[in-house]
Amino acid sequence: MTSGRSLRVQLLRRLLLPIAALLTLGAVVAYYASIEPAQAAYDQALIDVGLALGERIDVVDGRYVLDLPDAAERVLRTDRYDRIYFRVQAPNGTPLAGDRDLPPAPADDTPKDGVIAYDDTYAGNPVRAVAVLVPCGGKVCTVQVAETTVKRRHLLRDIVLSSLVPTLLISIAALVILWFGVKSGLAPLARLSEQIKERSPRDLRPIEVGQAPEEAKPLVGALNDLFGQVAEANGNQQRFLANAAHQLRTPLAGLQAHTELALSQPVPDSCRAELEQVHLATVRTSRLANQLLALARAEPGGNAAAGMEALDMRRVVEGVADEWVHRALARDIDLGFELAEARVRGSEFLLREMLANLIHNALEYVPAGGHVTVRTCMRAGDGDAYPVLEVEDDGPGIPAEERELVLQRFYRMPGTSGTGSGLGLSIVSEIAASHGARLEIGTATPAGRGCKVTLTFPATPL
Amino acid sequence: MRILIVEDDAILARGLIRILESEGYAVDTVTRGEQALLAMQQERFDLVILDVGLPGMDGFEVLRRLRAVPEPAPVLVLTARHALDDRVRGLDLGGDDYVAKPFAMSELVARVRALIRRSQARAGPKVVHGPLVLDTVARRAYLSGAPLELAAREWAVLEVLLARAGRIVSKESIMQAVVGWGEELSANAIEVYVSRLRTKLEPAGVRIRTVRGFGYLLEEPKEA
Repeated sequence: MTSGRSLRVQLLRRLLLPIAALLTLGAVVAYYASIEPAQAAYDQALIDVGLALGERIDVVDGRYVLDLPDAAERVLRTDRYDRIYFRVQAPNGTPLAGDRDLPPAPADDTPKDGVIAYDDTYAGNPVRAVAVLVPCGGKVCTVQVAETTVKRRHLLRDIVLSSLVPTLLISIAALVILWFGVKSGLAPLARLSEQIKERSPRDLRPIEVGQAPEEAKPLVGALNDLFGQVAEANGNQQRFLANAAHQLRTPLAGLQAHTELALSQPVPDSCRAELEQVHLATVRTSRLANQLLALARAEPGGNAAAGMEALDMRRVVEGVADEWVHRALARDIDLGFELAEARVRGSEFLLREMLANLIHNALEYVPAGGHVTVRTCMRAGDGDAYPVLEVEDDGPGIPAEERELVLQRFYRMPGTSGTGSGLGLSIVSEIAASHGARLEIGTATPAGRGCKVTLTFPATPL
Repeated sequence: MRILIVEDDAILARGLIRILESEGYAVDTVTRGEQALLAMQQERFDLVILDVGLPGMDGFEVLRRLRAVPEPAPVLVLTARHALDDRVRGLDLGGDDYVAKPFAMSELVARVRALIRRSQARAGPKVVHGPLVLDTVARRAYLSGAPLELAAREWAVLEVLLARAGRIVSKESIMQAVVGWGEELSANAIEVYVSRLRTKLEPAGVRIRTVRGFGYLLEEPKEA
């Protein structure tokens, strides 16, 4: 189907044309069905006049005489709409009375029940006429009666109007009914498309087939198959990445053990510098493996939703505090905590990984003697209380123009020392997204010093 | 001190052996869970370092069976991080501590030392922390060989910190340990006891660090 061609317009076009044709046909049939009896009734009135006139033909001494007083003739010729003409002829064709120049009936018409009805013109006007054959003195006289067609034209107009107007009204009504009918008939389809439109790209759950209209079920089914395939492909990729990252850890632990061992022994200075580089690279690679694993699990299809549970972020922070306090002490940084209950629905693994990246960054960029504070609390806003996780430091901070960029994978701020992978904040951002949390990067003080990363979780646990 | 390492990765196992041997421990190593259980039935170890991801019987199964043994050795679980959240912590299968792979050797050695010290404290009355010695039976403390006067509450705080030396101890857990049922003690009071302890211990190089908003940490003694 080409885009932009509305299903409703198509349906209407396909339905309206046949319906209009049917209605027209109906009107035509009704017209002819009603015009014949009406015409016949008027003809019959003319025939009656003819028969009445025929009654008045007498044969006196072998001559044909029409006994028609003037008063009677006036009555006969009186009509509300039309002019009435007549001519009475003797069997030999001699006109006895009436309009002598009235045109005769067409010669090739055969009388039916002694009557020929025909159309003609007289005195410049179209007329309808009948020729009635009446017995007179053993022979047959002809009485012609004609009238102008005003009445009949009125009748015609009335019939046309009376059949066309309802047809027109019915057509308009049908159009309106169709328009809204099709609209409401297509409403489930519209709802379905809304439902799909509102989905987040992370949401690859199948659409509920039960709600879809019967006709749309194959479409929903096909979509669900596609969703399923995408989710599976996604899942396979995530699993592969997670597995690969996971498998890297044991050899990395071995590598790290041996470089540390080597460094703990007396080594020539020339060698020591190289060994230190190897060790640094190992530590960085280990961190990268952890980050890739976190990323794989936070992404759509990474099965993050499966591990979601109700938990208190305060406890999550307390669980990792030990690990980070040691690193902070080693760097002479004051790592402090302001912890209040903050209940969220989340994955403990991912929240820990998020914290690890946030604290790691802070410890990385804050100079010795600096302060880093990890905060959990409930914060009021819009009449609700939102669980908040915040990491604040008094380091150099992130310039406003860099705050969007740092969320991109592998982006590194210009001028930063070469230890990070550029994945940290993009992992934070992914994990925030998988928890429906809002991520804000700002400054720690109004004066614009330091860095503050705030994660605001949904008010009602998902 | 004898340590059993259960790790199937030869390179990592070799690294662990050399580091722990350089710390003065006797180290044995096996690569499978079944061998580990057999070794523990036959010999006595002061600590087991157990990898979770073993071929065949995995580390959790080994842990479960080990708990059935009377007087089991403390177990330090080596784990890849994501196995940890749902199992070691959540189900509390009985590991005494864990280290996530990959790890820094200094961290591993610190955990090993702490675990061994803890299990010895259960066996013997003396707790040694660098120049500080606590005789828990006689309730006497010595610093660099000289007797150290400690008030009852100071003693209690120090005992808590010592039991978890090198780890953060939250103020709440100190309060719980120090205060008996029905007693009240403010967080400020804990600060006072800690500051008195600092005055007494710091001249000998025993440091108590404050973790802002959380609690305290008794630093590992610097090895000579």
